[in-house]
Amino acid sequence: MRPPADAIGTLALIVGVIASVIFIGVEAALVYAIWRYRASRQFAGEAATFERNRRLEIAWTAAPALILAVVFVLTLGTMAEINGAGVTPAMRIAATGHQWWWEFGYGGTKTANELHIPVATPIDLDLTSADVIHSFWVPELGPKMDMLPGTVNHLRLFARRAGSYDGQCAEFCGIEHAWMRIRVVVQSQAEFDSWLAAQNLPVASPGGDGERVFLSNICVNCHTIRGTAAAGTAGPDLTHVASRATIGAGVLPNDVARMRAWLADPQRYKPGSLMPSVPLSDADLDALAAYLGALK
Amino acid sequence: MSRAVSLERSPRIVEDRVLLGVVIFIASESVFFLAIVLAYVAYRDAGLATAKANLDVGRTAIFSIALFASSGTMAIAGRTRSRAWLAATMILGAIFLAGQGSEYARLLSEGIGPGSALFGTTFFTLTGLHGIHVLAGLVALAALFTAHLGRARAVGAVAWDAVSLYWHFVDAVWVVVFSVVYIGTLL
Amino acid sequence: MTAIPLWVRRPAAERVGWLRTVDHKEIGVLYIGMGVAFFALGGLEALLLRAQLATPEATLVDPETFNQAFTVHGVTMILLAVVPLLVGFANYMVPLMIGAPDVAFPRLNALSFWLSLVGGIVLYFSFLAGGAPDTGWFSYAPLSERAFAPGTGVDYYILGLAVNGAGTIIGAINLAVTILLMRCPGMAISRVPLFVWMTLVTSVLILGAYPALTAALVMLLVDRQLGGHFFDPAGGGQAVLWQHLFWFFGHPEVYIMVLPAMGMISEVIPVFSRKPIFGYGFVAGSSVAIAFLSFGVWAHHMFAVGLGDTENAIFGATSMLIAIPTGVKVFNWIATMVGGRLRMTTAMLFAVGFIAMFVIGGLSGVSLAVVPIDLAVTDSYYVVAHLHYVLFGGTMLGIFAGAYYWFPKMTGRLLSERLGRWHFWLTFAGFNLTFLPQHWLGAAGMPRRVFTYAASTGWGPLNFISTIGAAILAVAMVVFFVNLFRSLRSGEIAGDDPWDAFTLEWSTTSPPPPENFASIPAVTGRRPLWDRKHPEARDKR
Repeated sequence: MRPPADAIGTLALIVGVIASVIFIGVEAALVYAIWRYRASRQFAGEAATFERNRRLEIAWTAAPALILAVVFVLTLGTMAEINGAGVTPAMRIAATGHQWWWEFGYGGTKTANELHIPVATPIDLDLTSADVIHSFWVPELGPKMDMLPGTVNHLRLFARRAGSYDGQCAEFCGIEHAWMRIRVVVQSQAEFDSWLAAQNLPVASPGGDGERVFLSNICVNCHTIRGTAAAGTAGPDLTHVASRATIGAGVLPNDVARMRAWLADPQRYKPGSLMPSVPLSDADLDALAAYLGALK
Repeated sequence: MSRAVSLERSPRIVEDRVLLGVVIFIASESVFFLAIVLAYVAYRDAGLATAKANLDVGRTAIFSIALFASSGTMAIAGRTRSRAWLAATMILGAIFLAGQGSEYARLLSEGIGPGSALFGTTFFTLTGLHGIHVLAGLVALAALFTAHLGRARAVGAVAWDAVSLYWHFVDAVWVVVFSVVYIGTLL
Repeated sequence: MTAIPLWVRRPAAERVGWLRTVDHKEIGVLYIGMGVAFFALGGLEALLLRAQLATPEATLVDPETFNQAFTVHGVTMILLAVVPLLVGFANYMVPLMIGAPDVAFPRLNALSFWLSLVGGIVLYFSFLAGGAPDTGWFSYAPLSERAFAPGTGVDYYILGLAVNGAGTIIGAINLAVTILLMRCPGMAISRVPLFVWMTLVTSVLILGAYPALTAALVMLLVDRQLGGHFFDPAGGGQAVLWQHLFWFFGHPEVYIMVLPAMGMISEVIPVFSRKPIFGYGFVAGSSVAIAFLSFGVWAHHMFAVGLGDTENAIFGATSMLIAIPTGVKVFNWIATMVGGRLRMTTAMLFAVGFIAMFVIGGLSGVSLAVVPIDLAVTDSYYVVAHLHYVLFGGTMLGIFAGAYYWFPKMTGRLLSERLGRWHFWLTFAGFNLTFLPQHWLGAAGMPRRVFTYAASTGWGPLNFISTIGAAILAVAMVVFFVNLFRSLRSGEIAGDDPWDAFTLEWSTTSPPPPENFASIPAVTGRRPLWDRKHPEARDKR
C-alpha cells in the first residue's frame, strides 16, 4: 500500500492546481475589470445597462459543479485508500490520550509519548481517550484522527522510510495542549523487534537508592515500573523511561540532568500538568534521577 | 405612523405582523425542542429499562388530558373572548403542572433525578423545559385575564389569537413528548 | 459646522434618552457601537495571542491566560462584534430601504439590543469573577464539563451566549416580519435591495440555528450544575452529541456572518459601477439555496471525529455543493463591474477587497470539503487561515465597505477618503501578511490553540511574519478610528445622496427624520431612486 500521506499529497496537488487556476483566473478578471472600466480612464459613453444573461449564469454555475463532481469522485477513492481498504494491518497498537501525554500499548506492554513502528508495514492504531478529546496527528505519516472517551477510532499508519517523525495533539485538550508532542520512531523490522523485546522486559529489582525513593513517595500512586511494586496508571509507564527521547511529552530532552530538574519541579516546565511538585532532598533527587536515567 | 398600524386586526394571518411574529417564534422554539427530543431519542435505549420501571403512563395520561382539554377551552375562549373559558384554561394548565410536579416528586424520592443516570438527565431536561414553557404560557394567560379585569375589551383581538397560538404550541409539544417518553415505554 | 453628530439631535416631541429609545435608527447605532467596542476588545485579545506566538517557547503570557484569551477572542469577534455590526446596519437600513417607518416591533427591537449587550457583559464579567472560559469558542465536551473545567468560566460562557442568543433570535423575528409585511407600495419581494434579501435569509438562518445552540447550552448547564450526563461518557452520554448540536448551529452561523456582508457589497458595487447588479435573480436565489444547504453540512467540522466514511462522504458532498451558490456570486459582482464606470471610492475599494479575499477563503474552504485533505489540515492553522480569510477578508471588509457607504446617511457627514485609503491599504497588507503564512504553518503541522510551540519545529519565522502583519492591522484600525472620530466632528457635509445612489434610503435626508420619510414612496422597480432620477431609463423590473 501507499503511505496515506502520499495519497493525500497527490489529491492535494490536484486540488491545489485547480484552485490555483481558478484563483489566478478570477483575480485577474477582477483586476482587469477595475483597470479597464475605471471612470478616470478617458472613454466615451455611459455605463452599460445589461443586468442578466441566463445562459452565462447557468454556464458559470454548471462549470464549477462539474469540476467539484470530478474532485468528489477522486476524493472517494483517496478516502478508501487511506483507510487501508483491502490491506490487513500487521499489528494493532492501542493509543490512549491523556491530559497531557500519550499512552501506547503493545499487547500488555505499555509505554508513553514515543511510538515505535516497523517501516513499510501497515499498522492500525486503536485510538481512545482517558479523559477529554485529543487528536493523534503526525503530519508526515498521514491524516489525524480524534481520540474520544468512550469510543475507539482507528488510524492506519504506513511509513515508507525509517526515521523520526514528530507530531502533536491536534484537539484542544486543556492547559498543556501545546506540549502534548508525539515522536514516532520508524525502524527496520529487526530493530523494532529488539526494541519491543526490551520494552517487554520488567526491570531488575531491587534497584538501589533511587528505587527506594520512588517506592516510598507518591510516585507509585500514578506510575508503573514493571518489576517493582509500583503499579499506578494515572501517569505514564516508566519501566523504560530512559529509552525515550523527551520528558513530559516533548517539553524537555531526556537526560539525567534534565530529569532531575523535572523531578524537582515539574510545574515549572509544564505548569498545570497533573504531576505535583514533591519536595525531595537533594540526595533523593540525585538518586531518583540516576535510577530513572538507567531504565533504558 | 407604524405604531398606530401595527396592532390592527386583519382576517388573514399573514397580513398581521403580531401573528406572523408569534408563528415565527413558535417555529424557532420548535427547533429548540426538536434538538432536545432528538437527544432524548438518541439516548433512549440506554435509559429504557429505568423508564419502563418508573414512569406511570396511566397517571400522566390523565394529567395530559387536562392539558389537551385546555387547548379546547382556549379555542372557545379565543373565539368568544370569554374570561370564564380563559380561567378554565388556566385551571386545566395548572392541573397539568401539578401533575408533573407530583411525578417529579415521586421520581426524586426514588432517587431518580437529573444527576442520577442518563434517563434521569434526559427525562428531567425534556419535561422540565416543557414545563417551563407551560408556566410561561400560564403567565401569558394570566396577563390576558387581568388585562380584562379593568376595562372590557381593553386588549386588541390579536392578543387573544397570539396567546392562543402559543398555548396550542405548548400543547402540541406535549403530544410529542408524551408519545416519545411515555408511550415509548409501552413499545 | 456643528461639533455634535447630527444624529444626536432629536425633535422635541420625541425626547427619550439613548437608553430608552425604540427607534430602529438609534438602535442600529447602538448595535454598531457595541460591535465596534467589542471588535476593539477582540482585536486586543488577538494582538496578545500574536505577541505570544511571535517567537517559539515565549513566556509573555502563561498558558491559562492564553487559553482564556483565544476563547474570548473567538466568542467576541463572532457573537459580540460581527453579528451586532451586521444586525446594526440591518436595523438602520432595512426599514429605509423598503420604505417603512420602523421595524415591526420597535420595543422588542430595543429588548433584543439590550439582551445582546448584556450577554456580552456577562461573558466579560467572568474575567473579574474567577476567570474567563478557557475551553475554546466552541467549548467541546467533555473538556467543558465540570470535571475538566471546574471554575465558573464555562458557566459564564453558557449564560452569556444564551442571553446574547435570545437577543439575536428576537431581532431576527423582528427583521423577518418587517421585510415580509412592511414593504412600501410597489415593492414586491422581487424588487427589494439585495441587502434586504440577505437580511431576510439571514434571519431565517438565525431562527433555525440559534435554538440548536441554546439547546446545547442548556444540556451543558444540566451536566455542569445538575450532575447530568448528556456529554459524559462515564454516565452513558456521548461527547460527540455536543459537536453535532454545536455545529448544526455553527455552520449556519458562518453564513449568518457572511450573507449580510455580501448584501452590503451588492449595494456598493452597482452604485460605484453605475450599473444594476448583474443577475439579481441568481444572487437572491443563491442565498436561498445557501440557507437550505447550510443546515446540511455541519459535520464537515467533524471529519476527524470518526463518524465513518459514509457520513464523511455525504457531508463532503453537501459541503462541495454549497460552494457553488456561494462562489458564483463572485462572477455576478465582477460582471456588474464589466461595462461600468467604476469610481474607486473607499467603499468600492473595500467591496473589491472583499471579493479578492473571499475567493482565497472560499478556495481554502472547498479544499477543506475534500475529506482526506481536511483530515490532514483540520484543527491546524490552515483552518485558522481559512476562517479569517472568509470572516475578516470577507465579512469585515464588507462591513467596512458598508460603513464608508452608509456613514454619510447615518451622520450627515462623509468619512475622509484620504484616511480611508490608508485604512484600506494598511488593512489589505496587514491582513494578508498575518494570515497567508498561516496556511503553510497549518500544513506543516502547527495545531490550533497552542500557547507556544517548540523551537525545533521551525515554525518561528512564519509566526513572526504573521505577528508583524497583526501589528500593521492594528495601525490600520487606529487610522479607521481616527477617521471615524474626526469625521463625526468635522467631516464634509454629505447631503441626501452623496453617491448618486439607487435605493430608497438615499431619497430622504442624512440623517433621516424620526419617521424616515416625509411621505411613503411608491416603487416600480429595483432601483427606485434611479428610476426617479432617470425616468426615461427606468428599470424594467
